[in-house]
Parts: sequence; C-alpha cells; structure tokens
Amino acid sequence: MSVVTQLSPDGKKLTISVKGRFDFAKHQEFRKSYERPGTEVPPSSIVVDLKEATYLDSSALGMLLLLRDHAGGDDSDIRVVNSSSDVKKILAISNFDKLFDIS
Amino acid sequence: MITVQSAPESLTILIAEDSAADRMLLSSIVRRQGHQVLTAANGAEAVDVFRQQRPQLVLMDAMMPVMDGFAAAAQIKALAGETLVPIIFLTSLSENQALARCLEVGGDDFLAKPYNQVILAAKIKAMDRLRRLQATVVQQRDQIARHHEYLLNEQRVAKAVFDKVAHSGCLNAPNIRYLQSPYALFNGDLLLAAFTPAGDMHVLLGDFTGHGLPAAVGAMPLAEVFYGMTAKGYGLAETLREMNAKLKRILPVDMFCCATMLCLSFQNRSLEVWNGGMPDGYLHSIASGERTPLTARHLPLGVLSPQTFDDRTEVFPMALGDRVFLLSDGVIDTCDADEQLFGVQRLQQVFAANRQPDTLFEDIEQALRDFRGEARDDVSMVEVSLLEPAHANPPVPVYSDSGQSCPLDWSASFEFRAATLKRFNPLPYLLHLLQEVHGLRAQSGALYSVLAELYSNALEHGVLGLDSSLKRDVAGFTRYYQQRNARLDELKEGYVRVHLQVTPEGEGGCLAIGVEDSGKGFDVGQVLERPVDPGRLSGRGVNLVRQLGRNASWSDDGRSARVEFYWKALA
Amino acid sequence: MTGEHLNPKVLSALREVMEDAYPQLLDTFLADSEERLQSLRKAEQTAQLEEVAHSFKGSSSNMGADRLAKLCHELESKAKTLSSLEILERVAAIDVEFKLVRPLYEAERQRSLADS
Repeated sequence: MSVVTQLSPDGKKLTISVKGRFDFAKHQEFRKSYERPGTEVPPSSIVVDLKEATYLDSSALGMLLLLRDHAGGDDSDIRVVNSSSDVKKILAISNFDKLFDIS
Repeated sequence: MITVQSAPESLTILIAEDSAADRMLLSSIVRRQGHQVLTAANGAEAVDVFRQQRPQLVLMDAMMPVMDGFAAAAQIKALAGETLVPIIFLTSLSENQALARCLEVGGDDFLAKPYNQVILAAKIKAMDRLRRLQATVVQQRDQIARHHEYLLNEQRVAKAVFDKVAHSGCLNAPNIRYLQSPYALFNGDLLLAAFTPAGDMHVLLGDFTGHGLPAAVGAMPLAEVFYGMTAKGYGLAETLREMNAKLKRILPVDMFCCATMLCLSFQNRSLEVWNGGMPDGYLHSIASGERTPLTARHLPLGVLSPQTFDDRTEVFPMALGDRVFLLSDGVIDTCDADEQLFGVQRLQQVFAANRQPDTLFEDIEQALRDFRGEARDDVSMVEVSLLEPAHANPPVPVYSDSGQSCPLDWSASFEFRAATLKRFNPLPYLLHLLQEVHGLRAQSGALYSVLAELYSNALEHGVLGLDSSLKRDVAGFTRYYQQRNARLDELKEGYVRVHLQVTPEGEGGCLAIGVEDSGKGFDVGQVLERPVDPGRLSGRGVNLVRQLGRNASWSDDGRSARVEFYWKALA
Repeated sequence: MTGEHLNPKVLSALREVMEDAYPQLLDTFLADSEERLQSLRKAEQTAQLEEVAHSFKGSSSNMGADRLAKLCHELESKAKTLSSLEILERVAAIDVEFKLVRPLYEAERQRSLADS
C-alpha cells in the first residue's frame, strides 16, 4: 500500500503517510484515507508524512487542498512533515506554506 | 413440436484432413456436437474454403498433400488478421520439433488420433471462449478509439472557441515576443496580453492544474475577466481579486491556476508584478546586465477565498529597452535520460552565456534540446520589452449605439474620503462615465492617462504625503510602495475631489477636469521650471498632463489641478 | 469377432456417431487402406514410407484396428534404420493384418445394414 494511515489511540490525530510518487495515480487511495467512516468524532489534527515520498506534482497539491477542505478549510490543522528538499521546493514555489504547516 | 435452435455455441468449423475416412468420421463427430461442418482434403483447398466461407474454427491435419497443414495454417492466420480463428492441429506427431512447428505457424492446440470425442468437445469449447474474448477485446478497443475521437473533437471545438476569446488581446504588439507550444492550451498554459486605456500593458502567463478540457474550460472565464477589466482601466490588484474570486467560485477545490501577472507602465517606467505559484520570472536590466528574479510570493489563483486573497504587488523601475522574461515550468522540469532536471541553475547558465538578448529564446530551446536529446512540446515563454509607446495605439473600443442620446451639457463632482480611498479605485468608473460622451471616445487613452496621473498624484503625493524622489532606484521603489501601502492602511482623514464639466462648443464640446486633494501641496513653479526629461522615474507627471490635455494649470499651492479636453463634431 | 484385431468398443462408438453413414465410413476406410498398401509396396524413399505409414496408423487407430495401427507405427518410427529387406518384411506383415481385419469390417458392415 502506498498510502498508509494511522489514528492515534485517542482518535484525535490522523497520520497519513505517502510513499513513492505522490501524483494523480494516488488520488483514490489518498481520498479514502481520510474519508473513512467509523470515527464518531473526526480527528482534530492531521499529519501528512512525506518521508518516503519521492516526487510531488500539481495533482498532489490539489489533493492536499481537498484534504484541507474536508478537514474544515481555514479551521483545519494540517501539518506536512518530513518533506525532502525537492518536495519542499515545490511547496515553496506554490506558497503552500501559507496554508499548511510544512517541515 | 418445438424446433430446438442450434446451441448458442454452434460454430462453423473447417475440417482439413486428407484421409477420407478420418475426414468423414471427424465431420460426424463435430456435427453431432451441434456445429456446421466444412471440409477440405488438402492444404490449398483448406485455404480456399477459408477465404470463401470464413469458418470460425479450423481442425487441421498436419500432413497433407499439395500444401501441408503448416503452410495452410500460416496462410489462414494471415487471412484472419485481427480476428482469432483457432486452429487445432490433428496430429500424432510426437517429435518436439514437429509440435514446435505447429505453434510457430500459429496453431493453438493439438488433437491426437484416435479422436476422442470428449476431449475434442472440451478443446472446441475452450477455443471458442478464447475466440469470443478476442472479439470482445477488439470491439472494446474500437469503441474506445471512437470515444477518443469524440473527445479530441470536443477539445478542438473548445480550442476554437478559446482562440476567439484569446485573440482579443495584443499578443502581436511589437514589444512582445512569445513562444507557446502547439499543445500549450491543452497543457493548461495560458498567455494573455492587453493594453489599458492609458497605454500600459497587462500580461498574464498562467498554468492551470491538469490538462485537456478541464484546463481549457477554466481559462475562458479567466480571460474574460482579464480583458474586460484591463480595457476598463482596472489595475492589477482589482483584476487579480476578481480572477481569483471567479476561479474559486467555479473550479473544483483541487483545481487552481498558477499565474504571473504584470503591468508594464510606459509612462511611469515601472513594472508591477504579482506571482502566485509560477517559477521565477526575470527582469533584465539592459544597462547593468543584471537579472532580478520575480519570485512567487502568493498562492495560485482559485485557492483562497476573496476575504483571504492577497493582492499585494511588487513594483520595480524599468528603463526603456529593459525586458521581462517569464516561463512556464515546462522548462525547469525538462528531464534527461537519467531523470535529472534541467533546473534553475542551467537556465542561469544560458542567461549568462547569452550575448544577444534577441536570441534568448533560441538559446534556451537549444539548451533544452541538447539536454534532453529532443525538443519539448509543452513549453511557454514570453518576453516583454519597454519601448516607446509612440506607435502602440490601443484599439478604440467599438460601440453599438448611434450616439443620438449622449449627454452633452452636464457636470458632476465626487469626493472620495479616507475609507473609500483605501479600498476603491474610481478611475474605471469615471472613464466609463466620460465614454458616454461620444466625442470623447477617440481620446479615451489620453483621458485615462491624465485622470490616472492627477488622481495618483492627489492621493500619493497629496493625501499620503509620499516623496516621489524616493523612486530613484530599485530599493527606493520598494520603500516607496511599502510606505504607500502602510500609510493607506493607516489613513483616517483626507479626501480627493474630482470635478467633471462637459459643455457644448460649436459643433463639438469641452471637458474640464478638476482634481483637488487635502494634502500639503507643492511648489508648482519649481516643478514647471524643470526641463522636460523623458528619462525621469519620478516627478508629478506634470509634463504628461500638459502634453496630453490643454490649458493645464495648478492652483492653491498645487493642491488643485485643472485641465481641458476638446473635441470637434463627429463626421 | 477377435477383440485384439478390432476394438469392439471403438466400433460401437463409431456406429453411434455415424448412424446411417456407418457403412459408408467402413467402405471408405477399406478403399483408402487398399490405396495405402499399394503406396507402401511401391515406396522408393524412406520419407514416403514414413508418411504413408503415419497416415495409415492414424486411420486404423480411429477405426479401432489397434494391431494394424501398432504395426504401422513401428514401421514409421524405424523406417530410417531398417534395411530394404526388413522393410519388405514389415510391409508384408501389415498386408497380412489388413487382410485379416478386412472381412471383419465387411461382416460388420453387413450386420449394420441388417439392423437398420
């Protein structure tokens, strides 16, 4: 599986790890990872872990926007962590650090 | 009595066998299993029968006179083409060589003698399943090809419609050079250019997420806003706000448009820039040879809500002959065989090596070709130079009304106070109002330039008290505009008044414009004495007003300006 | 009916498949076989011998003449290594076997006509 999720024991933090190329092929998987039913209270914070992501394109940026919209838009709390320098560069040019906490 | 139709799996089967008894026997077996039978006694006959009757399956004896089974099988397979006609070889050949030969010529299976009815039935059934599978695949392939054609056609139509929208711009102006790949639109690249009523130029290089129809569909509303607002005299910030709001409203959440928008002002010798998500553009100063990167400071269009959208622009001085260069990410992202990116550094190297500014595009294309081994088809580049606007006449808008009912004798006064000065640009509205007077339409450009000049002077030097001598160099420009924004944010008092008076004169008429501000004024005499210097970056544009209008005058210590425009009867 | 020369199970299966055309099948086989024997006797090259023997083998096995089929198979597979004399011997053996089963087929033929 190239998109792996982990929910914290108290159900408040959802970690989504993306492995390999983060591009349009991952669309369905990525959506499913946060649209899962079952939790009564949706997680209050989300972490997208890109440690094993090798590449990011504009469809990945679009997917992050969908995630943000789903998590409450301006009220969301999403962190994008462990980005490689290439990925960081792409996020910087598109100024996505204005929407997400990127490290 | 009900006639039972032949079983759904009833096939037409060709039996090619030279032994008469075996042929007879096999025919009966196959007929009993519910199929139609054709026979042939040798290879040549088998090929003929196949050609004429096109059976769906062939039982082929390997050893036959005239033409043996192998040759016949090869020919039949060739005749069948895309359609799968299974060939079952009837053979008790045991050598692997012979069996291998069966497969080589396209044989699909073997049946040994003595014929076993059960095995034969099973093989026919299996082969039939394969045959149908192949037919389905071919059918679906053809269906997909047809749908693909429809889609391509839809794209062609979209492109044709879009081209009509796109060509209301001025990409063919003498100071613009651009390269846009044939598939640019369908890669989401967008290049727009238009003159403002004052003769300034707005340029937008955009890159929609996605490809194909979705990207093209987003481009059209964007282009409409761009052209409409630019023609009316709106500035960069307002136009960007409107484009962002529109895209935010109509596009799905995950679609957006990276864009760099420029305003080149020939009269102010300045470049105003807004970059949301695009690679660095470059402002090339001919005098110093320096290239200033124009970096993305904003999110792409269509992401932020209107309330959170950031419309702040950066302003740089631009001398005559200077050029702005923009490119899409197709250049940077070009990969070579080892998946290395062309990257910004290589681009800088091309810049450094470029001796003739006019060949910059060719240099870059060559560098890309050398790097990648072939040309790329989705690259967009544009270069805009600051030239004398003498020949660049913006087209006069064409109106459909006949002019019988236009206002010829009226006056209007406006007072824009602090809260309004902060957020409202009255110029497009004032120009629109004046264009109701048909006689003035031919002078729209001059009118707008003069109004803009007087208004910005009143606001910036008058109300905000900014010192125009700051605009000497790049650092000064930045400081000036930072101060402008800061003071405007904090503004609590002050006003700019605009008076318009239209009166008939003979067959034509006269427009008198008056602009007043609540500022400290300036020493008019001193400014008027200065020799006319076309190279000056700063100044009150006093000379511009004098050149474009008539009887320009300043009073009340420079706080009040007045100028007139005349027109004769229309032919 | 001698079981080892003609396989009765095969015959009854043939009869079931062919129905009214059963006698015709038997006739055809017998006529074909005569021709093949001629070819075997006249054959001058090994390749020809192999081909005919192969074909005869196939037919005989279909028709239930198991012993005949076996003899043909042996001739086919060994043709290259046999001397001319040995070949003559084997062809003669095939001839003998055929002459033995032929009346059996004819009897079979008569029987089927009577039963129809």
